[in-house]
Amino acid sequence: MPKTKSLIRFGAHIAITSIALFGMLLSSIATAAERPDFTGAWTTYRGNPGAAGGPSRFMGGELKLTPEAAKARQDFISITEGTNHGAGNSCVGGGMPGSMLGSGGYPMEIIQRPEQVFVIYEAHTEIRRFYIGNEAENPDSFFPERNGYSSAHWEGDRLIVETTRLKTQVDSRYPHSNQASIREEYYIDEPLTDGTRVLAADLTMTDPVWLEEPLVTTKRWQALSDYHVLTYECSEPVWLDEMEALYEEAGLEMVQE
Amino acid sequence: MKTFIKFTAVIATTLLFSVSLYAHHSAAQFDFGNTVLVEGKVMEVRFANPHLRLILEVTDDARGTRDIEFEGHSRNNMRRQGLMPDMFIEGDAVTIRIAPMRNGEDGGYVTALRTPSGEEIGRVSGAD
Repeated sequence: MPKTKSLIRFGAHIAITSIALFGMLLSSIATAAERPDFTGAWTTYRGNPGAAGGPSRFMGGELKLTPEAAKARQDFISITEGTNHGAGNSCVGGGMPGSMLGSGGYPMEIIQRPEQVFVIYEAHTEIRRFYIGNEAENPDSFFPERNGYSSAHWEGDRLIVETTRLKTQVDSRYPHSNQASIREEYYIDEPLTDGTRVLAADLTMTDPVWLEEPLVTTKRWQALSDYHVLTYECSEPVWLDEMEALYEEAGLEMVQE
Repeated sequence: MKTFIKFTAVIATTLLFSVSLYAHHSAAQFDFGNTVLVEGKVMEVRFANPHLRLILEVTDDARGTRDIEFEGHSRNNMRRQGLMPDMFIEGDAVTIRIAPMRNGEDGGYVTALRTPSGEEIGRVSGAD
């Protein structure tokens, strides 16, 4: 009899576990179904055909720099304004939030996988990776970079991206210190009247050192169909010039194009 | 009205070629409001990112004959506008529209180009 009881208890345990697992499976299927696929090429949002423009590059948001930040930015402008000096001219990408807010003039491509979302900005081939779930690691274990380190999670049909480990940047339209952090919320917005998909992202950049108030803005893109996002080789001319000088000095003919 | 349309077209073309310039460096040294035509012989051309480099041998009354280096849009955007490297070669005569240097020195930013075969990338024709 005790043996029978034990078997019944075991069976009940299995049944409850199975129901729980099945429930979790259903729940994860339902959640996954809510998640939009952002994969594709996107360009600057231009609104509906014939409409008088629309919010494209930078909607809302104003940078309120602290005196320390304003001086740092002004120093940079004073030595570069009216010259060819600039990060982009040296083949250096914009870094966040410039890479995201400036994208669209050159298209942006998104490749979405369950554990990671890749964003490729054509200009300077800047690549951002949004690490999701277990893929995300402690940001402090990475070197600071111009685009920082981004971890992400889903909240319903919205992808929430948190970016930290940014470098101090004065060479950006959106200057910030290395204490800045950026929150982006990506979602599919209302399509254009012809059905073209629209992607939007609400961005908030906080910086306790360089910003008096957070920068809050929304960026929109519209889908590009039948379109190639190109590679963006940029630093080769610098190397070619260097080679040319070496060949010239050696009295040899350079045949490489 | 015609003048307005022409003006608008020139502005649109200028914007077309310069829209992403500001991502690379300040454009303050170029006068996009007063573009001019330049004719010359291609001495060197490099379709590159972030900018086209074009050196033309130019002759004018004021400064004689010399090589002038011009800057243009990125290779990627040039391709999107239809400009490809096989459309002209060194030694060819081309006409370009440029936003000249504000300081009056030689050089400028190429906003449009007419190839030896007469093909126009951007708007070369129009009032100076």
